[in-house]
Amino acid sequence: MKNLRVSSSPHLTSPANTQRIMLDVLIALSPAVIAMVLLYGFYPLFLTVLSVATAVFCEWVFNVITKRTQSVRDLSAVVTGVILALNLPPVVPFYVPIVGAAFAIIIVKMLFGGIGRNFANPAITARIFLMLAWTGVMTKFVLPVDLSDGANLFVYFKQGVEINLPDAITTATPLQTVKEAISSGGNPAEGLNALDMFLGRIGGSAGEVSTLAVLIGGIYLAVRRVIDVKIPVLYIGSTALFTAIFFADSGYVGEYVWTYLLGGGLMFGAFFMATDYATSPKTPVAVVIYGLGLGFLTVIIRKFGTMNEGVSFAILLMNIVTPLLEKIRRKPFGTPRKSVKDITDAVKAKFPRKHVAAEEGGESVGR
Amino acid sequence: MQFVFKTFGRGAHPPASKITAELPLVVMDAPERLSVPLSQHIGAPAVPVVQQGDEVRVGTLIADAAGFVSARVHSPVSGRVAGIVKRRTPSGGTSLHIEIDNDFNYTEDLLPPLSDPSPEEIRERVRECGIVGMGGAGFPTHVKLAPKGKTDLFLLNGAECEPYITCDCRLMTERAGEVVRGAELLAKAVGAEKAVIGVESNKREAFDALTRACADSSAAVEAVMLRTKYPQGAEKQLVFALTGRRVPPGALPADVGCVVDNVHTAYAVARAVDKGEPLFERALTVSGGETGEKGNFFVRIGTPFDYIREKTRGERSDDDLVKVISGGPMMGVAQADLTPCVAKTTSSLLFFGEKEAAEEPTQCINCGRCIRQCPMKLAPRDIERAVLAKDFARTEELYVSSCMECGVCSYVCPAKRPLVQAIRLAKKSLKEGRR
Repeated sequence: MKNLRVSSSPHLTSPANTQRIMLDVLIALSPAVIAMVLLYGFYPLFLTVLSVATAVFCEWVFNVITKRTQSVRDLSAVVTGVILALNLPPVVPFYVPIVGAAFAIIIVKMLFGGIGRNFANPAITARIFLMLAWTGVMTKFVLPVDLSDGANLFVYFKQGVEINLPDAITTATPLQTVKEAISSGGNPAEGLNALDMFLGRIGGSAGEVSTLAVLIGGIYLAVRRVIDVKIPVLYIGSTALFTAIFFADSGYVGEYVWTYLLGGGLMFGAFFMATDYATSPKTPVAVVIYGLGLGFLTVIIRKFGTMNEGVSFAILLMNIVTPLLEKIRRKPFGTPRKSVKDITDAVKAKFPRKHVAAEEGGESVGR
Repeated sequence: MQFVFKTFGRGAHPPASKITAELPLVVMDAPERLSVPLSQHIGAPAVPVVQQGDEVRVGTLIADAAGFVSARVHSPVSGRVAGIVKRRTPSGGTSLHIEIDNDFNYTEDLLPPLSDPSPEEIRERVRECGIVGMGGAGFPTHVKLAPKGKTDLFLLNGAECEPYITCDCRLMTERAGEVVRGAELLAKAVGAEKAVIGVESNKREAFDALTRACADSSAAVEAVMLRTKYPQGAEKQLVFALTGRRVPPGALPADVGCVVDNVHTAYAVARAVDKGEPLFERALTVSGGETGEKGNFFVRIGTPFDYIREKTRGERSDDDLVKVISGGPMMGVAQADLTPCVAKTTSSLLFFGEKEAAEEPTQCINCGRCIRQCPMKLAPRDIERAVLAKDFARTEELYVSSCMECGVCSYVCPAKRPLVQAIRLAKKSLKEGRR
């Protein structure tokens, strides 16, 4: 008889593997990609291809140069490339996604150890980097293609290489409209349509505008249990809560809440970026703090900041806090729960009331 | 009809693969020579009381318990003692084995049956018959039954949550009356008011048989359906599912007023009391892709694995055999060869081919599945990192000692990291005083 294989149990492993998880994320991103093409034509799809190709190429080259095991087959670089492209305005010069993807993969991901080791979400960090490097380009948004006007889906290829887009085709994003309302004290929903925002017929980042498409993908991820659904639920819920609190005296609480939920990259960020494995906490208590922190920072930055980058900066900041949140240790199953009395006793033991101590001291001296 | 079944938090759902669930228990003929291990329980190995050349009958005491935490061993067949030799055991170590040449007469040497025994008589009979926990741990049952503090509930573990294994399922289906009788006797032995049998929802037939047997019995025994989830049969998880009580880390179910035993143990107790039969045979599942004739068998303790392989080989060749597991695929022990023999704790023998063997590990992607699904609420990812850094003191801070090695973390890991394996290394290193 030939030799038998001996190993430590378990002898079964689940069918889940890294590649399959990343494929699920790509499937979940596809509605947003389709919506992007329907809304803005093929130019942003061309940018997506550039971004993905750069991301995969950079990871491949990095692994070759540093003599690491080749990891491009796990598809995580493809996911980063797609998410980055969906985060860009629909019309930017072609080199923007190339620089962004290279930055995301080389600096944020591979230099920190590759998949699972990045300190922050590569796509969001790259987006912030591009925002700071090419602020003008990154804040100019175009209107969706109006096919009834005789235009076709290739129309934005003409503007693609220009750095300055003609004013005739640029538009304000809903959040820019809301920002003006904050300073003027008017109705933030003036001129905005909830259905248009839900479907994505507005100006905004290429893949983030259609809440519907993002939600379809997000629900797929939740059903397939790829993401911890507590994170997007807490993030979106706390954003609504903190918006209501911070705009309580504005007279337009309802309008602020729905424009903030549907505008900007909140839905996309909540489902696809805040849930990034390497940079989100795992234990329930830490996840609650993380979700609440994301909502709080998003609203603060949107209300008081000069840039409408609430979601990006909130996720980046909470990514950086995640290692601290991970230090909250969970007690093993069955550890007796502390009653309120135990906790108050512990606090009393730690902070003895001064006059009590003085009295005791006095007594002992007296005797 | 119950729709929401009791269960515990977290856990996983490996494919059940209960291929043999419908196959009735068949008595497997004994081989010509059996080797009965002397260390098939937790505690000191039993001490032989026979010598080479001695005549033995079925049920003759051949080795006595060496102390309180130890168990007696009895002859499974009639015949002659051929010798006492050192052999490998299914758990990977070695132990002395008493080799017995079978004369195929099966003349019996049993104890007198007890009618209406007192709790002391039951405990004494359990000790005399060498009964140990047959779910896999092999803890001597008479030690568990020794009273310490008040016990109000006796729990029987019929969850059988390991994939492939179906011997308990068949035993509950075909011998429900004896299982319920055993539950009644065990509850009486510890002074519990009630016995509860927990059965996973994928064993409908067994549950129905037990429910009927409980209705026929006058004793306070109840069968409860549990959700099919791994590790439903882990002691602390079972106690929580059935009673809502949480067994603290480092404590035993007895500390929360429960005693847990396997259904096969209860069956053995019923046989010991009502028939005077010591523990010398058990139900065993033979399954896995490389088994020709899968099934559930009554085998005598000491039957060598290679004999079972020959009996169940069917048309299969040994060339495709990659892995042989004694026990379930989640917690069982892979065998280096087929020389070990069936012990009291051997619930199954699985023959796996190439397809059923594990994959190579890749880099951790930090998905957190091991942390979210750990039934003991541990952080296997962090423990593995500490082990790779050889920081064993850190693993202690991460409560590594609470791990029961159920294997959920390694099972769910998409990167196929050896997580529970790292935890075992940490525990072993801590035991040896390495920090």
